[in-house]
Amino acid sequence: MQSILEVKELTKVYHQRRGEDVLAVDHIGFSVNKNEVVGLLGPNGAGKTTTIKCIAGLIEPTSGEIRLDGVNALRNQKRALEKVAAVLEGNRNVYWRLTPRENLEFFAGLQGLPVHRVKNYIDELIELFALKEKQRTPARKLSRGMQQKLAVACALVKQTEVLLLDEPTLGLDVETSYELRHLLRHLAEQGERTILLSSHDMNVVQDICERVIIINHGRIVTDDRVENLLRLFQASAYRFEIEGRLALEEEIKLKERFPLLEVSATDHRTYIDADLRDSAELYEIIEILKGGESRIEAIDHKEPNLEEIFLRIVKGDGG
Amino acid sequence: MRYLVLFWALLKKEYIYLKRYYFNTLSGIITIYIVFLIIFYGAKALLGGGSASPSFGNTLSGIVVGFMVWTFALFAYSDLSWAMIQEAQQGTLEQLYMTPLGFGWVAIFRVVATFIFNALIVILILFLMMASSGRWLHLDFLSLTPLILLTVAGVYGIGFLMGGLALVFKQVQAAFQILQFVFVFLIAAPADKFPLMKFLPLSLGTQLVGKVMIGEVPLTQLPLADLLFLLGNSAFYFGLGFLLFKFFENVARDRGLLGHY
Repeated sequence: MQSILEVKELTKVYHQRRGEDVLAVDHIGFSVNKNEVVGLLGPNGAGKTTTIKCIAGLIEPTSGEIRLDGVNALRNQKRALEKVAAVLEGNRNVYWRLTPRENLEFFAGLQGLPVHRVKNYIDELIELFALKEKQRTPARKLSRGMQQKLAVACALVKQTEVLLLDEPTLGLDVETSYELRHLLRHLAEQGERTILLSSHDMNVVQDICERVIIINHGRIVTDDRVENLLRLFQASAYRFEIEGRLALEEEIKLKERFPLLEVSATDHRTYIDADLRDSAELYEIIEILKGGESRIEAIDHKEPNLEEIFLRIVKGDGG
Repeated sequence: MRYLVLFWALLKKEYIYLKRYYFNTLSGIITIYIVFLIIFYGAKALLGGGSASPSFGNTLSGIVVGFMVWTFALFAYSDLSWAMIQEAQQGTLEQLYMTPLGFGWVAIFRVVATFIFNALIVILILFLMMASSGRWLHLDFLSLTPLILLTVAGVYGIGFLMGGLALVFKQVQAAFQILQFVFVFLIAAPADKFPLMKFLPLSLGTQLVGKVMIGEVPLTQLPLADLLFLLGNSAFYFGLGFLLFKFFENVARDRGLLGHY
């Protein structure tokens, strides 16, 4: 697979006049293949936005290398910007006094694309993003969701190969977020763009991205395909269903052996959730339960979602 | 060709803003006109009429010319510095920085685009001023266009500098207001009486514009030394302002401040 975005040893230190310097990004490296859709995850302050803005040429990295389609983005920024467009956090990427169509024409012009060359594409985007009815309404009068959709359309109209999306669904209600997610999935399925997407919304990432890079404290802690992560965590996550209450003695024994194990109970059932490294640990739990009076009703593989995986990785107990 | 497309996009955006928010444009024109009337009739009462003379601040015709140059300077300066703040506030500045044609060209084309529309507005204000003051000045556009361009080029340099400062230090509005009054001083200071004033922006240019509009001297008959000095002065202030702007832009990129306001 041909890689279109390569980030090597990227480091960004914010020097403070007062207080200690802030290491926002710490020697991170990854590459993204052509037409791949990659999610960038991390808690607040992990370095996601700094990484995206470094790639977009908006922040000067302290050291490292960024290549966009082979072009060294730090040495030849203008040529690199031919390859990349970005929607930055929030709905503040468009001109509120211009209509959607005027915005799209302006951003095409900003890329040096004459209106007559992109007219059909602008029509397509207006149709695709359901902006037709509002195409002549100033953007400030549109809903936040529509403004956000317009921002994505304005990035697309530049016709770059790489699209950077920083929190594209931030602040949207569930319905609009779902609509935008659907549109992004449509773009991903078309396979014509390489997308690097950062989001707090795990549903967006799980739904759209093939691969996920998790950053914490400026460093990459996981870089894997979403399906691999799900499979890996699914294989290790078990739920034991016990009839009645678990005896205190058994619970103590289990917790001593598996400190991260969780026990919860309803009136007639007890559930034990555990992440196990291998089948031997599974048998160990069964042995402990066999020694007491508990009757195991069922043992199931838990279906983890990306949110749980993310939390476990950034807390340092997985990956 | 791509640069022409960029220029056209910026020109069209400025035109849409002027047209769509015509009430803003109109109220701006009326405010400037009212300020002119107050100054003009105030000066008339003090001077008791006055006569046409190229020395400014003490003749009514000079006030018309000086006010015209001040309006140009004010527009030129506010277009750049305020626009930079507004773009940062609304979050579009980072998008402008992502053009593969370079933000420098965006800024320069914007200057040209706004100059074209500002010139039309200032001409309208000039006619209003001439009609209400009864002082019809000589309008030799062939001589005036390059002269005014050179005169305000230095102010654009100051606009670039202030825009750069705004990117890094954010709260510079107070300095913006003060500079408007500094411009009045620079325009009213007679460069012919105080030669050192020639080294500052606006002063010499305003004097030469006055010679064309009041003294009816064509550009070709203005002293070559003065014209060359004006060219050098404008190039210096424009260049210095632009270089300092690029310096502050790099500081803003290093500190990750382009999208903050």
